[in-house]
Formats: sequence, structure tokens, C-alpha cells
Amino acid sequence: MSQRGGAQRPNGAAQGKICQFKLVLLGESAVGKSSLVLRFVKGQFHEYQESTIGAAFLTQTVCLDDTTVKFEIWDTAGQERYHSLAPMYYRGAQAAIVVYDITNQDTFGRAKTWVKELQRQASPNIVIALAGNKADLSNKRMVEYEEAQGYAEENSLLFMETSAKTAMNVNDIFLAIAKKLPKSDSGGQSGQRPQPGVRLNEQNQASEGGCCK
Amino acid sequence: MALGKAQFGVSTFFAASHSNDKCGANGLPLTPNSIKIVGRFQHLKTLDHHHICKYLDCVRGRHERLMIVQEHYTNNLNLGWKTGKFQSEDNLVKLAFEVLQGLYYMNQHEVTHRNLSMDNILLDTEGKVKLSNFGMYYMTNGGAYVSFPVGQMCYMCPEVICSGPVQIDEETELPVLPPSGPKVDVWSLGCIALELISGMKLWEGVSNQQIARNVLVFLKPDCDVINSICTELKCVEKLQSLSPYLNDFIRKCLTVDPTHRPDPSELVHHEMFTVHKLKQVSPRNGYHLFTSKLRCKDLELPELTENDVELDNDHLSERNMEEVYYLWRLAGGDLEGVLKKAGMIKAKPPVTILPSLTLDNGEVLGQGRDQMELLDETVVLLSQDQLRQRLSDIDEKSYYKLLEDESTITEGLPSSPSNVDLNDTASLPLVIKEKDVEYQFHRVILYERLINGYPYKKAHIWKEARVDVPPLFRNLVWAALLEVEGDIQAQYDSIDKETPIGTDRQIAVDIPRCHQYHELLASPTAHAKFKRVLKAWVVSHPEYVYWQGLDSLCAPFLALNFNNEALAYACIKAFIPKYLHKFFLKDNSPVIQEYLAVFSHLIAFHEPELSNHMEGIGFIPDLYAIPWFLTMFAHVFPLNKIVHLWDTLLLGNSSFPLYIGVAILKQFHDRLLSFGFNECILLFSDMPVIDLQQCVKDAIQIFCNTPKSATYRQHAKQTPKKNETRPNVSYYSRDYNEKPSNELSMEPLTLDELRSEKCPRISAEDLLELGEFIGNANTRSPTKKRGNGKPLLLVIDVRGPDEFKRGMIPGSVNIPFQSAFSPEGDLVTCPAVTTLKQSKSLVKVVVGSRGRNASNFANELVRLDYTRVCTLHNGIDVLRHTGILSVPPPEI
Ligand SMILES: Nc1nc2c(ncn2[C@@H]2O[C@H](COP(=O)(O)OP(=O)(O)OP(=O)(O)O)[C@@H](O)[C@H]2O)c(=O)[nH]1
Ligand SMILES: [Mg+2]
Repeated sequence: MSQRGGAQRPNGAAQGKICQFKLVLLGESAVGKSSLVLRFVKGQFHEYQESTIGAAFLTQTVCLDDTTVKFEIWDTAGQERYHSLAPMYYRGAQAAIVVYDITNQDTFGRAKTWVKELQRQASPNIVIALAGNKADLSNKRMVEYEEAQGYAEENSLLFMETSAKTAMNVNDIFLAIAKKLPKSDSGGQSGQRPQPGVRLNEQNQASEGGCCK
Repeated sequence: MALGKAQFGVSTFFAASHSNDKCGANGLPLTPNSIKIVGRFQHLKTLDHHHICKYLDCVRGRHERLMIVQEHYTNNLNLGWKTGKFQSEDNLVKLAFEVLQGLYYMNQHEVTHRNLSMDNILLDTEGKVKLSNFGMYYMTNGGAYVSFPVGQMCYMCPEVICSGPVQIDEETELPVLPPSGPKVDVWSLGCIALELISGMKLWEGVSNQQIARNVLVFLKPDCDVINSICTELKCVEKLQSLSPYLNDFIRKCLTVDPTHRPDPSELVHHEMFTVHKLKQVSPRNGYHLFTSKLRCKDLELPELTENDVELDNDHLSERNMEEVYYLWRLAGGDLEGVLKKAGMIKAKPPVTILPSLTLDNGEVLGQGRDQMELLDETVVLLSQDQLRQRLSDIDEKSYYKLLEDESTITEGLPSSPSNVDLNDTASLPLVIKEKDVEYQFHRVILYERLINGYPYKKAHIWKEARVDVPPLFRNLVWAALLEVEGDIQAQYDSIDKETPIGTDRQIAVDIPRCHQYHELLASPTAHAKFKRVLKAWVVSHPEYVYWQGLDSLCAPFLALNFNNEALAYACIKAFIPKYLHKFFLKDNSPVIQEYLAVFSHLIAFHEPELSNHMEGIGFIPDLYAIPWFLTMFAHVFPLNKIVHLWDTLLLGNSSFPLYIGVAILKQFHDRLLSFGFNECILLFSDMPVIDLQQCVKDAIQIFCNTPKSATYRQHAKQTPKKNETRPNVSYYSRDYNEKPSNELSMEPLTLDELRSEKCPRISAEDLLELGEFIGNANTRSPTKKRGNGKPLLLVIDVRGPDEFKRGMIPGSVNIPFQSAFSPEGDLVTCPAVTTLKQSKSLVKVVVGSRGRNASNFANELVRLDYTRVCTLHNGIDVLRHTGILSVPPPEI
């Protein structure tokens, strides 16, 4: 089940459409958001992955049949205090991965809050995936697979348990998102960059305090 | 402690290696034992006593090898005992007394020797005891981190032999059972004393197993331990012939039941020592830098005796041992090389250490170690010849640098008689300077005196820090620059760092991710300290909260003050208000937003082309610069770079970090200009390698070319300094906000105002100062005329010509906003525009009356890539009362 190395890169043959999607990762601090991105983009795992301040940005391309899907990934800071930064990143995002840590029940609760917020505030067509990370630590599991799966079904989320450490389901979850994203010719977002640079002075709904509004 | 006649010795051993696939509870690889040892070792470096050898260094080699450097003497009890010297009761008592003092001292500092043996009792050139190798048990956490037993079997007391190997709780790193305490060493001392009396070795050649059996026999209730050991050593009568005091002493030492056996703190008061009139020499009044006590109280000046008049020529021996060792390394000292030469590290052909089998999960089988994991206690001497050679040309006066003569400060660095001009070295790149033994020698001598003179020598320290900061004293110099004073230890101790608080979880997940490539910070010891310092800050600043990033900010201070948590804490406590005032408020949004808006202005001011491009693609500071400023770059650079950055940062004012930010962008100017949004953001997602020295240089230059009020921030610290103690030595250390404000000063602007303008505003004060206008007496800006009389700024008045004619700033040009730009957006040519175009390097101050014309005009100039454009805050009206406005000369 586990794979090593990054996701498939486009092979030389220039075929089909190119789609570009903005994806955001949300979830409590230290659940492994940055680790998932690093695994997906570079095929690496750093045990001492630095904490994220503000947000980090990376891109990765995957091939789906005849379509090349380019992800522009915003990896956000998990600490609750940075919450007010998040809208800047999920606004205009076509996909989101909400991550929790299967060994920590609180992080699952936090994931649910994120899902709620996305459903309320993000663009209505956003594809949301729920990732139960650190699946390699199943002996310390605190969140049951069935519980999370049930929740995901109720909310029509994609769901997988992942491990950035072993690479389990990491590419798969991104691929599953890519499959679910609309790739119509017109709305293929190709070349149309999402707007991460929304001016921050724009009115901002989620706004109690925090770093940047 | 001064070097004296001490030598340096190195020994080596292996930490126990973890098997490859072993993971901790978090699924991540275990911290290598060598790292844990390095972490624990640091404490040993702080021990300083005349009867113990100073620990100097602990270096990790390959394959979990550790190399330990310690003060060393070639003579030891194992060599000395055969002389029979210690069979004399006087000498024996004196020896025991010195050993006990050493033990007592280390016990007071939570260290138990647990390894006392004849080899470890060194004798210095005067025959005084110096305990060595006493840190093995401590640094290996009771032996848990090594696969060999610590201590010699024949000197082990019964309870140690019974307890078996130590076990460590993996989560807490604490031993499951309490580790050996001070009393175990007392037993060993008793054995050694009997050996010395008898002139024989106990159980020589007997197997460890047999020794264990022999010792266990002592546990029988009716066993006469002394008698059976003396029988073994054939010294029953000998002992009886000695004084009852000595007999009693030995009996006490060899008490089987540890609860009845005295510990060193009790034994130093044994009657035997009183009878021999031995008194404890209290260690010389420890000198403390940060304290509220009187530092010179009880200060005893050494008395010069006849012998001292013939001064020793060995000036190096007067220097601190740590300092000499530091220089030794700079002079090319190479531990691994020395050990290899001595055959302690045997280089095997690599092929012989290849594993026989590697599984696909990375596990290897049948890999031979390049040496046994067992302990070889051999100590190899580190020759000081090379160092002495390198320093041989140094004039002896340089060893005793006088500070009182302030004229030498202005002269700069002393020139060395060795014809190496230190001023030349001073201008070399930092990395070279820091490796230059002779240069560092001079810096260390100078700084040591300056630091000892802190806070009185504050001005001088500031001045020298502008040249550079020697790595050996960086922690103290930083503390001095941050003006840390007072009894920091008492302050730190008074803070509750243990009671759980809400932030604990975040701190606990952040610390193991913070600068973990740094071997000191990766150790469990470091994590514990890190947690305490962070908690101390959070707990004692209720108005602030823990933001992720505070950990990174703390890391440099902790790494530099590893053995002084209180100082690390005092530094971070002083650093935050200076550079990050209000950044750690729960709602820090207005503060950070203002900071970033001012940053954008600065970019536009100095790099308009870049600013236009980045704005155009939406690459705004909010997306990349928050980790820069929130952590003062500590999150984005490795520690070895941060220290150099902060060496300068600490000399700057609260706005200086903004200039560093601009300097960083400047370094990537060309790349950023050619990049689109994605590439730009990717570039800074993982900070690329930058030339830091250049960056710092640029930042200073940019600073000097910016009017101070341009970085005015309402959220910056406002309170002017009450009693000014800081010397005005650093032209870029002053804060705009420290000056009292008047009607010509900057005033708070709303965020929207800040954002709607591309350029900074400057205050009328700055205009007057830079324009060298002699204003009314009400201006507090010193208006000193510059020698060359060249103007620094060009004032562009954008009001209508009529208004302009009624009163204008002398020397200003008039480009009325209404008619300034062509429909294409270019400046319409006219004489004033020509003047503007010819004034590329000047600061261009756009002045209007009330309304947005001036800022709109300035925005247009930036759009046209004009550099150094700013506007006058409050427009021409603020100058009405200064009396500088005049009517233009009639046009001819
Ligand atoms: N065992 C295990 N550890 C993981 C896994 N993913 C991440 N980690 C570890 O968990 C810690 C936190 O991971 P990060 O990727 O930094 O977490 P994050 O969600 O980005 O955290 P913030 O940046 O603070 O929001 C790191 O020490 C990782 O090495 C995993 O799948 N298994
Ligand atoms: Mg992260």
C-alpha cells in the first residue's frame, strides 16, 4: 500500500488539458499538514519538520488520464491563533484537505470545526477531503476509522487515513481530489491563477483577533 | 579557572547506538544517544573547582563516537602510589581531604562521580588532587546511554553491584530507579585508602564476577568488611598502627548500609581532618556578571610575594582555560587527528565495515563497528605547542590590555607587533575573522575586560560590537547590548515554570521541531530548558500570548546561553519589547498590519521597480514576510546565520529589521523581477541561501538613506527613555519614537491611510533636518550643516502655481498635480520635471496642501520607478509657523 517517491509527474507527451487548482491544508498544529505536502511534492519526510508560521506555498503536478492537474498548495499554520489568516488562503480555493491526527481526539474535533467553516465560508463548490494522518501510529489510535468515515459520509467529504511517514495514501488523497475536481474546458482554471493575494483589508468574516485580517 | 600548568587531554568512547528500526512513541526515530550525552555534558562545563579537572568540550564523531576534552595532568595516583608517599598518614589524610572536597563540590552541583579510581585521581604539578573523568556517570545519564558499565568493579559499593544496570523511562528520560548518590564515592575512597596503606591492589586480576561475589559477601550481617579487605590486602597490622582517627574514617567509608554511610559533605568535617589542621579552601569568590549584590565585596587582591616578582613569562597560563582551549581549536587543534595518531581511532578500510546484509527496510545486519563499544579510558594529551607558536609574536602587553585610556578606542584596534595589522583583519569577512586565532586572541582579551566592566563599559561594548562580536563572548555581548542588568537568576527562579498552562501542548509540539539540526537544541536536556524558558516568558507576560514562532525567537538565546537559562530568559524578555513590541498580543493584527504596510512603503521607497512588480502579481508581504518579522528571521535562517544577523540587528533600532527585509529582497532583485507569483512565493517558502554579510551591509546603507520618520509606527514602543543610559555611539540605534514629539512630528495613521499610499510619509522635523533648513527654535532636530553642502533632498511642491508663489519651501520645485501627467501617465516635460529627472539619488519629498494630491502624485512617481519618493506628513501647512516659507524669486 505504501509508496515511495513523489506523485507522477507529467510525462513528456504534451497531451490533453492542463488544469490548475488552488488547494489549502487546514488542521490543528502538528497533525502533519506540512509533512503531507512535503511527502506529496518532494517524496520526503522530515521528522523535525519545522512548524509553519503564516503559511507556506508549494506546487505539484499530477497526471490524470489525459489531463494534467497542477496543484497550488497553501499549507497553513495550525495554531488556533493563526486562524484569522486562514480565510485569505481558503478563499478562492477549489479544494481543501482538512487534517487531523488519529492519535489525538482533540485534533479530530478541530477538523470538524474547519469543515464547518469551509462549508459556510469557502466557495460553495469546494472539494473537501478529510485526512486522518499518522496512520502508522495505529497502536496509539484515539480516533476510530469508522467514526471519521461516518462523519465524512454525512458531510460528503473524501476520506482517507494517511501517513506522511510511510507515504500511505498520500498521493492517493491528492489524486482522489484531482478526480473529483471539475475539469470542464471553460472552467478548467487553466492559466487562471487563484487569488491568494487578496488584499487583506478586504472585509473578513472570521475576524476575532489574530495575526492578519 | 586559569590555565596554569594544566594540559588538555582527550578521551573517546561510543554512545550506545539504537537499532535502526527503533522508533519512539511518536513513530519518529529516537534521538541518538550521542546527542543526549552532548546535551547533558554541557552542565559539566560549568563545574569549576581547584580539586576537579575542568571539562572543556564534548564533540560528536562518526558512528556515535564522542570525544571528551578535559583539563589533564599526566601524574595520577596510579603512578604515584608506588612511591609509597601515601603510606605516610599525613599525606594520605591530605589526599583524602582533597578528594572529598572535589566530591563535595560536584555533589553540590548534582553530580556523582561513580567512577572514582586511582586512575581518576590526578595529581597536578604541585601534587594536588584533581579529580578527573567524574562526569561519565552524569553525562551518560547513569550509564543509560552507553553499553559499557561506568565505574570499576573493585571500587563499587554493594548497593551499586546489587542494583544492576540503569533503566530510563523513554518519555521522560528519567531513570526508573533513583541513580547512585554521593555515598557510593565514599565507599570507593575507603577502598582506595586501604590500597594506599597496604601498597597493594584490591582483587588484582580477579574476574568481575568474582569481585561481585566478594562484595556481596559483605552484605552478610556478621561480616567485618574492613577486616576481610585488610586480610585480602595483608594490611591488618598496618592499619592498626595508624591513628584511631584514620581507622574511624575508613570504617565510616566502608559502611555497608548506605543509610549509615556518611556522604562527602559530612566526611569533610571528620575529626581526622581537624586533627591534621586541614581547612577547606573556599573557592575564590565567584565573579557574577548579573547580580544585585555588590560585586567587589570581599574582593581580595592577591599579594605579591618575593617569588612573584620574578614574573612568569608564560602569559597564556594566566588566561582562562576555556579561552585557551577555544584558541587551541582555532590554532588548528584537531581532536580526531590527535586520536587517530594515538591509535585510538583506527581507520579501517571502508570495505571491512560494510554490512553483510541490508534489508529493504534499511536495517543492516553484520556490520562491524570500527571499534569496540567498550570503554578505553586512555587520555591523549593535546599539545599546546601549535597554539603557543601561533601566539608567540604577540607582545606581552597585549595580554594585559588597559581600558582606561579612552583614546585607544578611537584609534581602533591595536596593531600587533607581529606586523599583522588587526585593522586589516577587522575588515575581512566574518567567517575568516572568526577563524583567525591571533585576531580572536585580541578580541577575546579586550572583550573579557569590557564585559567585566559592564555596565560601566557599555559605551565601549557598543562601539566594539560594531566591528564584530567574538563568538566566545557572544552571549554576554548580546546581553549587554540588550541592557540586561540586575539579579536575573533570582528573577528567573521566582517564576513558576512547572504548573501546567494552556499553552503547554503547543509548546510541546513546537520544541521538537525547532532548529533540531542543531545538536545542542536536539537533546532532551535542551527540550526541558526550552520549555522552561518559554513558559517563564508566557507566564510572566499575561498581556501577551504564545504565538508559534516564539520558539524560533528563543532558540538563538538558548543555544548561546545553554548553561544559563536565566540569562537566556532575560535576553528574550529584553529583546521582545525592543523589536517586537505588541507582536505577541492576542490580537496582534493591527500591529503586524501596520508593520507590513510600513515595510511595503520602504520597498517602494528603495526598490520602486520591484515594488511595482510584486504589487502587480499580488506578491504582498503578508504572504511571505510574517515569519521573517515575527521571529526576527530566526524561523527562516539556520542558527549559524542568525547569530551574525543579530550581531548587527541588536545594534539597530526597532525599525532596523524592516531594513533587513528590504535588503533581502534587494539581494533577489533580478530573480524576483523575472518571476511570476508562484515562483516568487516558492522562492521564499524555503529561504534560499543568501549572502548575509552583504545583506547586513545593505540594510545599514538603506537605513542611512532613509529619513527616520519614514518608518514611524504608532504601535512601536512610544515611551521615551527616561534616564538615558545608553551611549549615543550607534547612529542607527536610536528610535524615532524615543524622541519627544511636537507639532512637526509624525502622527498615527489609520491602516487604510497607510495602505492607500505607496510611499512613506516623513515628518516636518525630518524635512527640516535633511533639507538643512534653519528653523525656529521649536525644532529639536539638530541642524548641523553638512560639509560639502550638497543637498540631500528635493522638495516637489504639487500645489497650483498661485499657491506656490504665495509661500514655498526654499529650493523646492513646483510641479502642479493637475497638469503634471500626460494622458499616457508620463510626466509632462517642463524645467521642474527636468530638475526632478536629474535628481535621481535625492530623497524626493512631495508636498501638497491638504487633500490627496501629494500622495497621488507620489504614487505616480513610484509607478514611474522613481526611487526615494516620500510625502510630507500634513503637507505645507505644518511649516507655516516655522518661518522657513518664502516667496520664490521673480522669474527672469
Ligand atoms: N509518526 C508520524 N509522524 C508524523 C506524520 N506526519 C507528521 N509527523 C510528525 O508530526 C510532527 C508535526 O508535523 P508537521 O507536518 O510539522 O505538522 P503541521 O500540521 O504542519 O503543524 P503546524 O505547522 O504547526 O500547523 C512532525 O514532527 C512530523 O515529523 C506521520 O504520518 N506519522
Ligand atoms: Mg506546518
